Amino acid sequence: MANVLRHLPELEGMELGYIQGILKNMDDDQANLFAQVYRARRKDNQMVLILCLLGFFGFAGLHRFILGQIGLGILYILTLGLCFIGTIVDLVNYKSLAYEYNIKVAHETLSMMSNNTNYFPNVNTKTGDNV
Amino acid sequence: MAFFSYFQIQMKRIDTLIRTFPLELVFWIGALIGILFIDPYGAQHFTLCPLENLGFHWCPGCGLGRAMSLLTKGDIAASWSMHPLAMFAFGAIGYRIFELIRHFKTTNHYG
Repeated sequence: MANVLRHLPELEGMELGYIQGILKNMDDDQANLFAQVYRARRKDNQMVLILCLLGFFGFAGLHRFILGQIGLGILYILTLGLCFIGTIVDLVNYKSLAYEYNIKVAHETLSMMSNNTNYFPNVNTKTGDNV
Repeated sequence: MAFFSYFQIQMKRIDTLIRTFPLELVFWIGALIGILFIDPYGAQHFTLCPLENLGFHWCPGCGLGRAMSLLTKGDIAASWSMHPLAMFAFGAIGYRIFELIRHFKTTNHYG
């Protein structure tokens, strides 16, 4: 049972709860590996907020590109963030956008770890004995 | 004291309600429903656009709603001349709604 506050202290709110739910089945080594990969890949919600604010200066939809929603990104940048309306909605909604993306990244990280044979770093993968 | 804790519980409930409210989903579906009620042929039209209301009379997104409305009425040529991105907008927004509904369970509940 690993504690999320020890491995990923920068998380907050719903994301903190969600990642704790994932980490509770791991030991500290696994949680450490998960935390390293997850931290490198997740997007901070403040970055989403700032890129969203750039929409008021003519560069709308950069946050949608960053979050992997290319279609909506193109639509936003060519229509000035749906005439500012889309930008304003995303300004209210930026935390859910980042949260949704980060949950996706967490699940990708998990499936990557379960494919990796070095998933248990202190166990010999051929014999299954503790090293 | 009892009243105070009741108040706290209610506040917490409202707080969770706000945090888990699917704002984006409601916004996109509301936008599509709103587009069905536009009359694209009228000379004067009611607009929500903050830029238009501020006094700017043109922006790159002008006419997108009317173009999408024309598309729902089957008038593809008029839709293209109003705003060429209407078809693309339907595609992008439809896909986003699909994604939001698909991820609804994971994003609204703890693992």
